[in-house]
This record gives sequence, C-alpha cells and structure tokens, in this order.
Amino acid sequence: MPREYVFPFSAIVGQDRVKKALILNAVNPGIGGVLISGEKGTAKSTMVRGLSKLLPGMEVVDLPLNITEDRLIGTIDLEKAISTGKKFFEPGILAKAHKNILYVDEVNLLSEHIVNSLLDVAQSGVNIVEREGISYAHKAQFVLVGTMNPEEGMLRPQFLDRFGLYVEVKGEGDIEERKRVISRRIEYERSPEEFIRQYQKEEAGLAQRICTARNVLELVEVTHDIIKIAADIAKQANCQGHRADLVLVETARAIAALEGRKNITIKDLKEAAELALPHRTRPQPPQNTEVPEETKEEESTREEQERQEEENRQEQEEEDGLPPQEETRQRDNAHNGNEPEEQSEPFPDKIEEKKKEAPFQEDRIDEPGEIFSVKPIQIQPFERKDREGSGKRSKTKTSSRQGRYIRYRIPSDKVTDLAFDATLRAAALFQKKREKNALAMAIEKSDLREKVREKRIGNTLLFVVDASGSMGANQRMRSTKAAILSLLNDAYQKRDMVGLVAFRKNSAEVMLGITRSVDLASKNLRELPTGGKTPLAAGLFLGYEILKARQVKDPDMVPVLILVSDCRANVALHAGDPVEEAKELGRILRYEGINALVIDTEKDFIELGLAKEIAEAMGAKYYKLNQLEAFEIEGVVRNYLGT
Amino acid sequence: MSIKRTVYPFCAIVGQDNMKKALILNVINPALGGVLIRGEKGTAKSTAVRALAHLLPEMNQVADCIFGCDPLDKSSMCESCLTRTKNGEALPVVAKKMQVVELPVSATEDRVVGTLDIEHAIKKGEKKFEPGILARANRNILYVDEVNLLDDHVVDVLLDAAAMGVNNIEREGVSYSHPAKFILVGTMNPEEGDLRPQLLDRFGLAVDVRAESDTEQRIEVVKRRLEYEANPAEFASQYNKQQAELAARILQAKQKLNQVKFGERILELAARISIEIGVDGHRADINMIKTALTMAAFAGRSEVVPADVLEAAALVLPHRMRRRPFEESILEFSKVEEIVKEYEERSIA
Repeated sequence: MPREYVFPFSAIVGQDRVKKALILNAVNPGIGGVLISGEKGTAKSTMVRGLSKLLPGMEVVDLPLNITEDRLIGTIDLEKAISTGKKFFEPGILAKAHKNILYVDEVNLLSEHIVNSLLDVAQSGVNIVEREGISYAHKAQFVLVGTMNPEEGMLRPQFLDRFGLYVEVKGEGDIEERKRVISRRIEYERSPEEFIRQYQKEEAGLAQRICTARNVLELVEVTHDIIKIAADIAKQANCQGHRADLVLVETARAIAALEGRKNITIKDLKEAAELALPHRTRPQPPQNTEVPEETKEEESTREEQERQEEENRQEQEEEDGLPPQEETRQRDNAHNGNEPEEQSEPFPDKIEEKKKEAPFQEDRIDEPGEIFSVKPIQIQPFERKDREGSGKRSKTKTSSRQGRYIRYRIPSDKVTDLAFDATLRAAALFQKKREKNALAMAIEKSDLREKVREKRIGNTLLFVVDASGSMGANQRMRSTKAAILSLLNDAYQKRDMVGLVAFRKNSAEVMLGITRSVDLASKNLRELPTGGKTPLAAGLFLGYEILKARQVKDPDMVPVLILVSDCRANVALHAGDPVEEAKELGRILRYEGINALVIDTEKDFIELGLAKEIAEAMGAKYYKLNQLEAFEIEGVVRNYLGT
Repeated sequence: MSIKRTVYPFCAIVGQDNMKKALILNVINPALGGVLIRGEKGTAKSTAVRALAHLLPEMNQVADCIFGCDPLDKSSMCESCLTRTKNGEALPVVAKKMQVVELPVSATEDRVVGTLDIEHAIKKGEKKFEPGILARANRNILYVDEVNLLDDHVVDVLLDAAAMGVNNIEREGVSYSHPAKFILVGTMNPEEGDLRPQLLDRFGLAVDVRAESDTEQRIEVVKRRLEYEANPAEFASQYNKQQAELAARILQAKQKLNQVKFGERILELAARISIEIGVDGHRADINMIKTALTMAAFAGRSEVVPADVLEAAALVLPHRMRRRPFEESILEFSKVEEIVKEYEERSIA
C-alpha cells in the first residue's frame, strides 16, 4: 500500500535531536543509521515515516515483524518456476533496501534468526543467497533505522553497535509545546490532505537542504587532526572497537555539510559524539580518570536520577509509616550485642544459641532496595545425560505444530507439519517434465518440505527465598529483595512464568503459585516478612513439588529453581542433620533435571560457605548476593533459558 | 462466516455505564483507538461487546473491495481502489453495517495477517494473497476476548498493524500490504496476568468493570438474564425502541463530530493534566481531546466544555499512568479533578 498520506516531518513539534539524527543519515548514509529509543507515544515512528517524503532518490523500506527469512533474503520465484520451469531469483526486502533506508519498528521485538540474517548483511553490505538451489548475491547497503520502547527489553550489544547513532526521545514537558502537539495531530486527523498542503513549502525547503548538503559532503575535508580527536574521544569514552571513531567522523562530516561548511570543527565532533557514543560507551575502568564531557554529563544525570529515586523511596517509606532505616539498624545492633556490624551474625558455633533465640525474634518487613538492570553471564546447562526429562523438550520443539513458522527443511522422516509453500516451490521446478495425471501439479516425495517452528519455551522461574531471622539483619533482606525484583523485571520482559516460595520458622509456604503475573509476585515479595529459623530442606522440597507438578501440566517448560539463602539450615524436614538433608534434596533436584541457581546471601565475618556446598549438590550456578548487585545476574537466567 | 445467534440487547445491560459509554464513543469516533475492558469474570464484558454490533451504523464502502475501503478517503485506501480512483473510475458503493470481527486467542499468525492462497497456487501456478483477520477488521471493530492471553507473536503483529493502520505482510513468498484500521476492543481479567505496556498504550480508552454492588441492581441483572434465556426473541423485542433511539443518537453524533470546536484553554487543560499526572508520551493528551470532542458530539453540543475533558481523562488515563517497575499504577483522580476545578475558577475570575 503506498503511503501517500503521512504526517509531515516539518510539522513534528520539538524532538530536535531525533530529527537531526535522521537528517544527518539522509545526508550521509555512511553514518550507518540510527536507533530511536523512547517511551510510547513520542512520535518515534511518525518521524521516520515523515522522513520518507523528504528523501530525493531514497525510499524508506519497511521490515515488518512478521517477516520470514525468505522474504528478507529473497528466494526462488514461484510463478516463474511454475510457468517456465526455470529458476529465477525473487529478491527480498534486503534487495529493496539497497541504497535506501531499512526501517524496523519495534526493532527489539524482531525474532532472533531475522536479526542474525540482518547482522550478517549489514556487516558485509552484500546479501549472499544460497538456498533452494539458488545461488545469488547482490549488494545490500542500507541505512538501518530502528525504533524501540526499552520497556520491552534491550537489543543484543552486537546488534546495538550496528546502529550508527542512538537517540532517546521523551515526551514534551513544556505546556505550550504539548498544546501544539495535540492541536497539530487533531488538525491532521480531521483533514490530512489540507494539513499536508500547509507544510508543503517547509517540506520542500528541508528536502532542498538535504540535497545541497549531500553535494557538499564530498567536499568536506577530514584532516588528520580531526581523525585524531575523534579517536581520542572514542578512546576516552571506552568504546569497543573502531566503529565509534568512524561514525564520529562521518557524523561530523554530515553536520558540517548540512551547514554548508567544508571544514569540520571541534563543535561538530562534540555534537556527533552526543549521537554516536551513548550506546557504545562502556563503564570506565577504575584507573581511568579522564572522561570526555559527554559521558560526564551522562553520569551526573544518572547520579541525579539515583538520588531522586532514593528520595522518592524515602518519601514512600515515610508515607507507609515504616520506621526509618537508621532506627531499624540500631535495633538490630542492640539485639545482636555490641559487635561491629560485619560480625553481627552469630558465629558458626553459636548456631545452637541462635536456634533458641530465633522464635523470639519479631517478624519484620523490609522494603526492597533499588532495582537494577542486569547483564549476561555465561552458564553451562546440564548435560543431556544428566537430565532424564530433557529429551522431551527437544522433541516437542519439532513435533509440536504450535509456534511460529520460521523456516523449512527437507524432512528426514515422515512429514507431520508440511510446509506447503516450500513444497510447492520445490515441486514447481519440475512441472514441465512430470506426468501430472490430470492434476494441476505433480508433487513427489522429494519435493516435500516440513516446517521448522520457533516455539516459545515455557520458562518457569520459582524463587525459593529464605525468610528466616538471619536474613533480616544488616539490611540483607533489602538487597535480597532488590535482587529478586531485578530478576522479576527481566522475567517480565521475557514474559516468563514466576512463582514464589518462602521458608522460615518451621516450614515453607507458597507465597505465590506459578503465574504469569509478575506484578503479583513482586507485591507478595515486598510484603514478605522475615523472622524465625531456617527450614531450608522444607523450602527445597516444596519448590521441587511445585515444579514437578507444573512439569506434568506443561512438559515443554524449562523449570528453574532459584534459591536465595545463606543456607545456614537449622531445621530438618524429618530428622537428622539439616544441612545434609538439604544437600540430599539438592541432589534429587539435579537428578530430576531441574535447573537451579543459588544466590548466596551470606555476609558475615566468618563465612561457612554452606550455600556453595548446596549449590554443588544441586549442580547449580552459584552467585554471591553482591555479585548480583554488580549488574551481573540476569544473564544467568537468560542463558539458561536460551539454550 | 458468521453464526447467527440472538444477541442480548445493549440497552438491556444493567449498569456498567462507563463501559457502555466507552464503547459508544468508539463507534461514534473510530479514531479514538479502541477500548480495553478490565474486570472480574461474569461482569458482562463480552456480552456488551457482542451486543454493540446491533448498534453499529451503516457506512459507505467500495462494494467489490475485500477491505471495505471508504470510497471518499484516499488516505486509507487499498492499492487497487486507489489506482482505480486515480484512473477516474467510479467505484461501486454499497452501505454496510460496521462489524465486530473476533480474533480468537488461539489464532495463528498466518491467519491474523494473511498468507499465500495455497489452492490458487496449486491450480493456477500464481501467487495470490489470502486475506486474514486483519483484512476483515479494516474499518470494523476487532474484538479480542482475554487479550492478555494472546500469543506474543500475534500481539507483535497486532501492534504493528494498529500502529500503522496498515498490515504489511512479508512472509512465505508473499509481499503485500493493505489498510488495517480497526477499533481494537479487548477484554481481560487482570488476575490472569498483565498486558505489555506497549499494547496497553494502543488502547485509546480503558475501563474497569466490577460487579454491581447494589442489591436492587443485582436482582435486576439476574431477572433480565433469566427472562432473556427463557425467550430471547421476545426479550430483545422489548428493547427495540430503546435500541433504535440509541442508534439514531450515535448516527447524529457521528455527523456532528467534525463540527465540534475546542478552545485554546481546553487544549491547555488537557496538556496540563498530562504533565501533572505524568503519563508517557503524547498519546494521552491527544486522546483526551479526541474523547472530549466525541463526548460533546454525543451530548449534542458543538463546543467542548471542561466537564468533557474531566470525563475523558477518566477513560484515557487509568492505563497510561507512568509507573516504576511493578508498582501498581493508581490514578489519583482527585488530582485531575483539582486541575479542572482550578481551571474553571480561573475562567470565572
């Protein structure tokens, strides 16, 4: 459908940085595109679509989320194959995108295999097709433009780096600007034709400016000095690889060209850095003190944000009528005697003593600390032979007819899920020579293709949380809750199922059955009180029961038990040593093929390291709580689930 | 394909005024972007949506177009209608009722977006596009019961189309695009899990429904239901007059809509509410004004008044409140009321 009526680019109120980034790419496709990230309803897509009307000799080619591999890369031309019996290549979106803008709305929702194909081509600028008996290659150099809402999850670093520039959009805060946004939109909707006409002159002017700048671009001189400064900026921002330097120079060139200048200034480079570096800047190594201005600014805003959030949180607490943190801590210290904070936990030989005093401890509810975003860590899944139930998972992946048809393959066995289109395409080639027996098409066994589907695996995360008295000390529950909430945040983006089990006093309790509502889980977690002894085995046993029951219901799901505890078990499920009993249960979990993570909350002067032992028994990945806070937890789960 | 069934009359639904109003407003002004109805089980959510079908006005469409294009609106025509118009061809016009097109939760992606017509490919050796649910939904109401249970892939596709008003298909050898402007109506039970914020924002309005708490009203609900089940046709006929009146009112409002005016101050009011309440992006403000315009039209007025904005805010804001992860978004509506009150006082002074 031709998009004849689009909201004019020049009629968009504000959003100057995004507009500039788009225009710069139009002037100099060598910049490598732009990723526009921002909250909903901030005219992200409107801007890109508006741009399409401004580009002389350039098109905006859409890459819809429903795209299949054959339409992206190109495939055999079905019609020609049937009518002529010859192989012709039918180009896909990548061919259309050559020398144009390739636009992906909601780029973070694109499925993995499409991203992979895209990365491949974006890198080389050439699309090489080797499929269905077709061998073909064509140039595919395009400006990649994506929009995304970060609430839905981020992009892989590799993909992120493909975008030359990165801009964040926000809603307008100024009331006059906002008024203008509303009235223009309503005017447009009431009469698109009339509205577009009003902006015709402005649009033509902008198009002319882009055109002129394109001609100037070739004349802009890139001196050795400029390259050196660009390299310095990129180095100081601690960017990976050399793409940052290159993009800086290309962007600065476009900025100069747009202003009709033939020389690049430091100011151009600074402006370019604001667009080219945000998504490439990595945290500074500690020894490095020099930071380029832009990053400093960013950091200070981040600090400002954090401070703000801290304030909000405190306000919240006051509203809730909870005692201020300081008092709570004092009470704890008084309770544990005058030992320094680091040692406020009982020594190992005092466990007995603690057991006695535990029941007298009052229940308390800790507010969670700040939620943090979390990044990947590698983890090896269980080996197949260790998991009895694992065969089922891979089997359902192919035989199940649910899920999204991503590609096809030549079947090895009997076909249960026929890929009609691919089969027809395969058969089409031979129609001229085959005996048709009054049928329109003759299909032979060798033509059959079956569908390969991508199925969402039922990911189920069960948090088994220690809520015993020891967790209440030292604000431990605060950081524990923060860590779990951060994991829940990720689970939300991946739309996982979650559940929550807590153990304390003498038993374990289901705080929340397996549900899709992450909101509910976080609510229950917030309200989770701590106090009493540590019945670890009971917690593990309950967790095991819930996950097994769930597995019966949904054999495809990948069960993951996340144990959050210091594992100082002091209540047995039956009789005997509580720690040994927990280890035994851990071994059962492992044998049953339940993936596990252990998050060790031990934070004492003398560490017992029990959690590590239990993690070993469970065959679980082991993390200390403070490692999570170092932004390093979510990947644990993600990698598990991705395998 | 449609299964004929007697439908419970819209006017016979007891209470649930907010829900009914939100649905009616969308019928008057399809540009409002649909409505999300959240509530417990058994609160007449689905009944109301299905009942709406009978109130839907007729509209002109190109008779032989599968997408039911508007013969006068070039901005959202399918390629074939557009080409025909450009070639000076007079398009055959027919008046048809707007429809409620259901999207079952189990629908697969290919049925939603459309796919290659296999039969045609085999018989003729030609590629032909077989339209999906989105094609039928163009200019109609797309109804998703239990929208929060929809498969993620289908949600993505739906978002794509809802955002652009166009369905772009690039799959399995088919490259095609057609208009897909629809009123998205979804129902959900929040206990079953939440909706992604992105999809949430696509719904123009949101209403929360609860069971009636008034005993008299509850009795009335049961009584009418029993009466209806005993003799549907007879029951429905009792409401014929009411239904016809409402349909006529909707039609009038529809015609009036484009003449309704709003002043600079009304604009300011909407912008101020959005800023002070702290919503994401601009969709809330824009929708607030559009909803207020539609309300004025429904009330037969030709000018938006502050009370319209207040009422619109109640429908536009609840699902758009900015929130930190996992905090419940509670709309402090008293704040909106204060802003409107302050505004009115200033106007008098």
